[in-house]
Amino acid sequence: MVLLLDLLTTAAMLFVVTAGLMMIFGVMKIVNFAHGALLTLGGYASYVVTQLKLDPWLSWPLAFAAGVVVGMAVEQLIVRPLYKRPLDAILATWGLGIVIGQLIVMAFGREVQFVDSPLSGTWSLFGIDYSAYRLLLVPVAIVMCLLLTGLLNGTRFGIRTRAVIMNEDLASGVGIHAGWVRFVTFSLGAGLGTLAGTMITPLSSVDPNMGMAWLVSAFMLVMVSGHSMVSLGLTCLVFGACQVLVSTYASPVLGGLTIAVLAAVTLRIRPKGFAHG
Amino acid sequence: MQTFQRFFRLSAVAAMAAISAGAYAADPIKIGVAVGLSGANSVVAPAVVQSSQLAVEEINAAGGILGRKVELEIVDDASGAVGAQKAFDTLVFQKKVAAIIAMETSAARNAALPIVSKGKVPYIYTSFYEGRSCNNAMYVNGWVPEQQVAPVVDYFLASKGAKTFFLVGNDYSFGRGMLNFTKKYIEQKGGKVIGEEFLPIDGSDWTSVISKIRSVKPDALISATAGGAPNVSLAKQLKGAGMTLPYGNLAIDEGTAKTMGDAASDMYMSASYLTSIDTPENKKFVAAMTKKFGADLKTPNELSEPQYEAFYLYKAAAEKVGSTDAAKVIPALAEVSFNGPRGTVQMNKSRHTPLSMRLGQVQADGSVKILQTFANVDPGAQCPNLN
Repeated sequence: MVLLLDLLTTAAMLFVVTAGLMMIFGVMKIVNFAHGALLTLGGYASYVVTQLKLDPWLSWPLAFAAGVVVGMAVEQLIVRPLYKRPLDAILATWGLGIVIGQLIVMAFGREVQFVDSPLSGTWSLFGIDYSAYRLLLVPVAIVMCLLLTGLLNGTRFGIRTRAVIMNEDLASGVGIHAGWVRFVTFSLGAGLGTLAGTMITPLSSVDPNMGMAWLVSAFMLVMVSGHSMVSLGLTCLVFGACQVLVSTYASPVLGGLTIAVLAAVTLRIRPKGFAHG
Repeated sequence: MQTFQRFFRLSAVAAMAAISAGAYAADPIKIGVAVGLSGANSVVAPAVVQSSQLAVEEINAAGGILGRKVELEIVDDASGAVGAQKAFDTLVFQKKVAAIIAMETSAARNAALPIVSKGKVPYIYTSFYEGRSCNNAMYVNGWVPEQQVAPVVDYFLASKGAKTFFLVGNDYSFGRGMLNFTKKYIEQKGGKVIGEEFLPIDGSDWTSVISKIRSVKPDALISATAGGAPNVSLAKQLKGAGMTLPYGNLAIDEGTAKTMGDAASDMYMSASYLTSIDTPENKKFVAAMTKKFGADLKTPNELSEPQYEAFYLYKAAAEKVGSTDAAKVIPALAEVSFNGPRGTVQMNKSRHTPLSMRLGQVQADGSVKILQTFANVDPGAQCPNLN
């Protein structure tokens, strides 16, 4: 039973962390190496909230808002000229990640910071006391998945976004403001990244490198799942489950490799991932 | 005429010798400190620099060493092996220091030791480490596993009635080394290790490990993770999972415990130095640090306090032999002692130091309460081939 909860909560955590990258990399095809730094930024939003002695729940909206603002600035200043030059975008976002990381070091120092958790303690479920916060992440991930799916598939904005990604010239031709769509999508993706950063703080440490550990897994998951939020959710569930099973029954050292190995194998068999048909 | 010339020559030589001796006496004694001002150690480096500065200031105020002023040469080692080689090279061959007093990571220490041997400079290594590093020029005044593990295990066996232990660590030399030793020690004392799990060095998802601990139900848990992120995430996830078994952390220091706050409460740790040591020497040390650095004070810790002591040990050795000549000072370092914040220390056990170890428990406010002091814990035969 504990194993089942481990599977579900790990998958939820992976989904939360990768959703923002999905918007930028999966949907917009911008390889965003700054995603790790955005996660870190979210972690420090929690730290600021703790320092100001505010309610820890406030860190969620604050982190999201901070991410959106940063995303808007970055899109305008850095990413906009690079949509047609994806290789340069890799370098630019990588550099941006380093810059954000160093700014955080300058502002807050290199050491590990302590952050208040919005929810602590355990909930009793099926006769087991399990971490309440981890359990909370499961409905959060599901709601997030539904909202984003709805946004991308059920609204005019989503249709426009997909139109712009598939054929920008044609989309512009029928009167869609491509620049505006990209601007909104990128900012939203950045906001989701920082939100994820603040959401993982009760389970990880807050330090200038906290986001980097998630970056590789996040990229693997998004590459495998293509551009659909539902398939991202499923990928997180399957790969997360494999990771937990390998960690539990083999060794945690091998567990750390599971996602990368599975992703490599999957992409070998289906080079375009799951959602590309 | 000839005698006069001879006399003249002699007196000239004597005068010159006197002048140069005079100049020599006024020359400061340079002591090198290589420290990670950048890189991973930059978290702890400021505290190490501060305690070095205090030691030098105090020694100079009391007349220096052999009547000569002491001068600090602080060099950045970038927290790594390559940086340490550069730093030691600079200190030994360019700055021509009389001694080096420095904490290093194990990799950096091993990389720098050949330079110390070549330059024949006395080196006091002030960090705790996994043990058994031996060099003719090196002394160690930090703890080794023999000294740190025993208090935690003994306390769990005796006071908590623990019989079964679970060991958790990161997969690298310190984690493996500490836990291998811990396992042997537990079994030697009649306890049983019922689980041992390692995560990669940068791993911080402890989900499966915690589930295993839950399923095998050990009486006590002991961890040796990498410092920083893995350590903090393990503590948070254990708390989050509602685990309440006695938990001994071999990789935590007082400062980290303080920043971790709530997540670290009730955790057990073992240290040779804690700021709450209740002796006049420690109170004087903490007061002097507070007075000198005020609001900028970095809390003295397990790495910065041995640094402070080492300057006094060097002073005692140099004054005992009346010279800064390395060949004379190096053997003398084992013969002198210093009564400092940790008690009286003497580096006389095959280049290592018997230490009083304190078993502490982290309180809800992040401070560390000393539960028990284990006096004069022996480091064992670390370097049987050196005398």
